[in-house]
Amino acid sequence: MIEVKNITKTYGKKHNVFVALSDVSFTIPDGASVAILGKSGSGKSTLMHAMSGLDRPETGEVVIDGENILKLKTKAVDKFRATKMSFIFQSFFVQANESCYDNVSLPLEIANVSGKERARKVKAALEAVELSDKIKSRARNLSGGQKQRLAIARAIVNDPKILFADEPTGNLDSATGDVVEKLLFDYNKQNGTTLIIVTHDPDLAAKCDMEIRIKDGKIESISNHKEKAKTVHAQPSRRRIQ
Amino acid sequence: MKITDTIRRAGRSLRHAKARTLLTSLAIGVGAFTITLSLAAGEGGRQYAESLISANTDVRELRLSQKQDTGFETTKPQEYSDGTSTESLGGGFKFKQLAQSDIDKIAKVDGVESIEPAYSLDVKYVTRDGQKKYQASTNTFNKSVTQEYLAGNADNLDKTKILIPEEYREVLGFSSNQEAIGKTINLVVGKALAVTPAQKLDIKTFSLTIAGVYKSSTLSFVNSASLQVPAETAKELYDYNMEGTPGYGNYFAAIVRTTENANPDTVKESLTKMNYDVQTAKDLMSTLFSFINVLQGILLGFGALAVLTSIFGIINTQYISVLERTSQIGLMKALGMRRRDVGRLFKFEAAWIGFLGGAIGSGLALVAGTIGNPIITKSLGLQSGTNLLIFEPISIAIVIVGLMIISVGAGILPARKAAKLDPIEALRTE
Repeated sequence: MIEVKNITKTYGKKHNVFVALSDVSFTIPDGASVAILGKSGSGKSTLMHAMSGLDRPETGEVVIDGENILKLKTKAVDKFRATKMSFIFQSFFVQANESCYDNVSLPLEIANVSGKERARKVKAALEAVELSDKIKSRARNLSGGQKQRLAIARAIVNDPKILFADEPTGNLDSATGDVVEKLLFDYNKQNGTTLIIVTHDPDLAAKCDMEIRIKDGKIESISNHKEKAKTVHAQPSRRRIQ
Repeated sequence: MKITDTIRRAGRSLRHAKARTLLTSLAIGVGAFTITLSLAAGEGGRQYAESLISANTDVRELRLSQKQDTGFETTKPQEYSDGTSTESLGGGFKFKQLAQSDIDKIAKVDGVESIEPAYSLDVKYVTRDGQKKYQASTNTFNKSVTQEYLAGNADNLDKTKILIPEEYREVLGFSSNQEAIGKTINLVVGKALAVTPAQKLDIKTFSLTIAGVYKSSTLSFVNSASLQVPAETAKELYDYNMEGTPGYGNYFAAIVRTTENANPDTVKESLTKMNYDVQTAKDLMSTLFSFINVLQGILLGFGALAVLTSIFGIINTQYISVLERTSQIGLMKALGMRRRDVGRLFKFEAAWIGFLGGAIGSGLALVAGTIGNPIITKSLGLQSGTNLLIFEPISIAIVIVGLMIISVGAGILPARKAAKLDPIEALRTE
């Protein structure tokens, strides 16, 4: 369970103060898929950074499994991220020069996983995103969709409890975007991993169990699609091409 | 993150920027090349000096002379001291000589096995029946000087025998080295003191049997093409030559041989206390060594300068690398990589550059040395097989490790910049 309590984050000083998040509170149950929906500059990315401990808001708490990660030391937060969280970004951030294997292996190396275990997990993760045949290819030789699938493999290789996806389909055409979405939602359903998607695409947000709308640093509405969610996958995609 | 994983990742990211890595490494390589060569030259020089000394001296031998007045005072008259003979060297310089009484006194000192004055022999000429006369440079045979015999040997050298170099064998008309053995040659000595023209013709012929023909060596200090007679003969020649002159019975120097169990340094100490100037084989070596060390130091200085320049190259390269890989650093930090590990990644990269530079530089130095050694030996006219550049694996290893440490030092600032990067800012860059 993730509890976000009264988070406030400001940038700048004195006359130029910009409030990115203002008194934001909500609770996400384990295993849910959540969309943080908002326009650009609404504070949705800042919220994700705060929830993952990358950023430190001035006030408030982020309690994950009973622990306030904002009170932890940098070293402990790093360990927390290395073992329990994962990220997927709009611009993939895969290492173009490295092989697929080495890209996926990075989080395991950071988390100090032994070599044998590493090889097994990397292979399983690449298989899950159907990139087994590319294991030795350089990431730069992959297409956009393949790169994002590689990023997903990197994100799931360490069996995270929480998976953050920042505009995961933003750089993809609708067909490949659908494949990536399906991968994410399937993983969320099969493994009980909490999936948090930051997006400005209402169609994508509608496919999630829960939708947190954010505007000007404040929560506009929180809606639950739990019942609707079951039917989402059956429907043909209504996503517009970005 | 495990150290081995960090090292591997650092190595990989350098491989991805091959040209840049190679160029930066080459800058250090220049320094490594110079340093490795100067270390090799120093080592080669020392080994050569050592072989020179060991071919000419024995550790048990001390070279002894009368202690000279320090700071020659040429403007004021010097007080006369009775007993010691001095030889005027001109220009007011006087050289105090050893008298027979000194020799006898030293012979009784603890640890001294024998003492032999160094005779400076003045032989008029050498000849043999039916041959021309030749000027003869003559020395006392010293058994601690290593020499190669082409025929015969010095095993049974007594006062009737002589050793000659190959060159004299030829001019004295022997067709082969072997033929010369056992034949007689004549050394003719004149009087140094010549009062009347008649006396000037006063000469004495010493007939000596050839006991051995030796090969003149470039390792020898003394004029290598000289006739060698045993000490007894040398004394006779010397005494005949010097009789009646002030120098008679006085010697510039003497060679002291210590007993087998005595420490040459202790003997030196007790002789120095008796007011003699004493040099051990080690002293002689250290004089030569200090000369070599100064030369080596100058070369090392140039190498150090090149390394210093390359440090800025590493700092620059690493800064650019950090800038280029901002998003990668951001990602790694988002994935939970610790600051220390991020910094370490860049320090290891610097270490790799240092290692490459060191390996390239010392490798090239090794190649240059291997090619250059025979050329140097030939152009200096040294004995073939002599190497003036000697590469020690340990010194190459030290050069490489040292450069790696220096590179890591240079990489500290860029590494710190990488470690301090804010992941949010870094991930915004695209």
